[in-house]
Amino acid sequence: MEYDVLVIGGGIAGMESAINLGEAGYKVLLVEKEPSIGGKMILLSKVFPTLDCASCISTPKMAETAHHPNITTMTYSEVMEVKRNGSGFNAKILKKPKYVNESACTGCQDCERACPVNVKYDEFNFDLVGRKAVFIPFPQAIPKVAVIDIDNCILCGACERACPASAIDFTQVPEEIEVNVRSVIVATGFKLFPAERKPQYGFGKFKNVINAMQMDRLLAPTRPFNTVLRPSDGKEAENIAYVLCTGSRDRTVGNPLCSQICCMYSIKQAQLILGALPLADVTLYYMDIRAFGKGYEEFYKQTRDMGVQFIKGRVAKIEERENGNLILRYEDIENGGRVQETEHDLVVLSVGLLPTPEITSIFKEEKLELDDYYYVKQVDEDLSPARTSIEGVFVAGTAYGPKDIPDTILSAGAASSEATAYMETTRRQK
Amino acid sequence: MTERKVGVYICHCGGNISDYVDVHKVRDVVESEDGVAIAKTTMFACSDAGQQEMIDDIKEQKLDGLVVASCSPKLHLLTFRGVAKRANLNPYQYVQVDIREQDSWAHREDHEGATEKAIRLVRAGIAKVRQSQPLKPTEVETVKKALIVGGGIAGLRAALVLADMGIYVYLIEREEKVGGWASKFSVMYPHDKSGKELIGELLSEVAKRGSKITIFTNAELLKKGGYLGNFDITVGIGGDTNEAETINLKVGAVIVATGFDTYKPKQGEFGYGLKGVVTLPEFKAMVEASDGKLEYDGQQVKNVTYIYCVGSRQKADVENANTYCSRYCCNAAIHTSTLVSKVDPTVHQFHLYRDIRTYGKYETLYEETQKMGSVFLKFDEDEPPVVDSSDGTLRVRVKDLLTDREEIEIDPDLVVLVTGMVPRENAGLTNALKIPLGRDRFYNEIHPKLRPVETVIDGVYIAGAAQGPKNSSESVASALAAASKAAGLVMKGYTELQPLVAYVDPDKCEWCGLCAEACPYEAIEKSTDEQRGKEIATVTGMLCKGCGGCVPVCPTDAIQVKDYEDHTIMDAIDALLEEV
Repeated sequence: MEYDVLVIGGGIAGMESAINLGEAGYKVLLVEKEPSIGGKMILLSKVFPTLDCASCISTPKMAETAHHPNITTMTYSEVMEVKRNGSGFNAKILKKPKYVNESACTGCQDCERACPVNVKYDEFNFDLVGRKAVFIPFPQAIPKVAVIDIDNCILCGACERACPASAIDFTQVPEEIEVNVRSVIVATGFKLFPAERKPQYGFGKFKNVINAMQMDRLLAPTRPFNTVLRPSDGKEAENIAYVLCTGSRDRTVGNPLCSQICCMYSIKQAQLILGALPLADVTLYYMDIRAFGKGYEEFYKQTRDMGVQFIKGRVAKIEERENGNLILRYEDIENGGRVQETEHDLVVLSVGLLPTPEITSIFKEEKLELDDYYYVKQVDEDLSPARTSIEGVFVAGTAYGPKDIPDTILSAGAASSEATAYMETTRRQK
Repeated sequence: MTERKVGVYICHCGGNISDYVDVHKVRDVVESEDGVAIAKTTMFACSDAGQQEMIDDIKEQKLDGLVVASCSPKLHLLTFRGVAKRANLNPYQYVQVDIREQDSWAHREDHEGATEKAIRLVRAGIAKVRQSQPLKPTEVETVKKALIVGGGIAGLRAALVLADMGIYVYLIEREEKVGGWASKFSVMYPHDKSGKELIGELLSEVAKRGSKITIFTNAELLKKGGYLGNFDITVGIGGDTNEAETINLKVGAVIVATGFDTYKPKQGEFGYGLKGVVTLPEFKAMVEASDGKLEYDGQQVKNVTYIYCVGSRQKADVENANTYCSRYCCNAAIHTSTLVSKVDPTVHQFHLYRDIRTYGKYETLYEETQKMGSVFLKFDEDEPPVVDSSDGTLRVRVKDLLTDREEIEIDPDLVVLVTGMVPRENAGLTNALKIPLGRDRFYNEIHPKLRPVETVIDGVYIAGAAQGPKNSSESVASALAAASKAAGLVMKGYTELQPLVAYVDPDKCEWCGLCAEACPYEAIEKSTDEQRGKEIATVTGMLCKGCGGCVPVCPTDAIQVKDYEDHTIMDAIDALLEEV
């Protein structure tokens, strides 16, 4: 099969690049490894500084991507290999079995209700509620098709019997697809910093220490509990702490970089909490508040005025009390640098971003170089920000460094622009 | 009774609506409205499954009208027009009813009232869709040429990439020479690249593109006419606009990359005006010109004190306050301090800051300068540093939050005011293009999250620091993004213009000219109706935006906007007022 551009990753960077290219008339193949496109943004509650509902503004992009006549989308698929082939590239893609016939499934969720297996992992709600062994990724998923988690499936057949569309198909096997493309855009995004790597904060050990992605889910319109409950006893939280720079600006965990978004998403969540729990106190423990984007400083100022507390000081340690409350130990820098201990009933770790260097292994013969921090290296950041070490391969979004949504959109525009220019100049040369 | 078959979908919006509006009750009430063939509630109308359900219904039930009661049409009008299109229903036979922004969110405390209001709004939508006619957008050819306004690093980079895509580029620059701010700097963060060299590189690449890029300097945009994909641009060349030679350019898209200005402190602001108090750009020029040692006024500089956030993050009560953060200045000041340490490692450098915003990978610059010996003192916005030289010595007093608000006195040789970015004065251009400004007075994008380079004026894009503070590589990224959008418009060779335009009933029109006066787009002209032997108004559909400004001024009710005719609106109002 032939396409003009292969876009790896179906988050907002990949979708935006694909739409730009599709609009300009190029045939695009977008490959996403998860069962739905949408990436991280569709999982968010609202976005700063406009407080737009994230799903409301991402679903049009998702729908546009999925329905664009020039874009073909493959979900639950991974690019295994990219090799130069003439003036373009040859790519091998593995389509993983969903064990569900995608064209037959109507997304009715009868299989989900029938499935007897409760899995404690939950990719959509970040393990807050768990899911079944057969599941629809999330309400606005595209495609809205069930997928069977075969590792946890007990092959009881309940879903098969329940499915009104006879869409369940246990005979599916992995499929390898080969395509030829002229250019590649890497938009593989970021990983969240695993908070377990800061054992002094007790994530995974203390029930009421959660990460910020979990809090975003607790606040989302599709929130699991319809309010902000703390995990240990289901009590509405009254006094919430944010620990900023968890896993960022921190050489002890090997990440000296600032993650660029945590200050703002924490501030955003603080505002949303004031809406959801009007009586709650919210305190942010920070190093510097980095409200640097358009409208961000004003949003920060507004949040301060709404009564959210900001304390400059890095939290050293968190301890748990018998009632599940947590004691934060920190240096109160702006008040004489005294070591303080303060009790909160819910702690949110504002985890940072980490790179996804695994992507380099799919490029054969030529090396996709990484920078000092394992992000995809920009070989000409000043004039061609999307260019990588491989001619014809471009990078978009957080694959080359932490970014907020507007910067991600700009970088995706840069990648589609450079890919277009590359394809047009090589075509003319031929 | 109407013959129409309308489908009505009431969205829960995952609780955003259904937590406050009884969507099932709304469905039950509107189900029996005249012309409604099917009425349903849906969890997320915008989700793929929600869309598919509507498509199936439209096809199976042969619906000829669609109403979705959900969020603001700003979000999903195009989504659901797409649904109609995919179901072979004319997209203009779709009506969106906003029961979220205009209802559920506004009446959270009154569920019954919100439900009643939703019923009324949906009824009005049904009334409107009953009158709808199939309409077709006008397809127009687009000119495969682009105009770039501003020849800084963003404008030049956009010109190159567009030329490489095969799009002809005109670039106009107000100054005598292209290059902008970047060409004034010899070392820029984060790669210590020379701005002069970067601009030189771009210009030599521009030269290689030959006739694909035409640059006009001393040139200003005077007027924009035409329509999407076919703009007629008048450019004045050469100094004073009265004597300027004008040229006309026909282009498909316009990219505005007019950059920024640096903040100029007021006399006395942090000691500005005193000897030894300079702005960051002035200081940077000194550092770049220094040869082995840093000097000011013939004296060697041994102590530099930086004051951050000058002209940025100002309190709202300051006159013409810049309440925004200028984004680049922390990085630029810190990078400059590393250059100072390289010139003379014995220089003492004190940074008086509020928050250090070396976001992302720039954090390593902050680490580097601390290792080189820079000292950082944090001040409270309510107790800013005081600069004076009343006893002949330049002195800075600051209460340092990091040492329990102890008042610290520094006698520096130089005080560097870390000045931010301000928007450029561009009233003429802003007027001609009609691009709105934001509260920060930079050009405003259509949506700050997802559409940062597009403006409310179709076909006009914004790039670089004209949209808001950015460093050079960020400006380049946004220029490339703007180029991508412009390419999407002109590369296909055609675009569609929306059909909701004004039209004239020649029997009723008695040309008085009021409509032409009311039209902000110059879309209405006088013409002669031979058949009727009189003068009447004629609308040029390609220029009309369907704003409706002409409709209420017409004394004979001769002018109407398609799909918004008086009888349609009256029907909708009647439905709205009906008892629930």
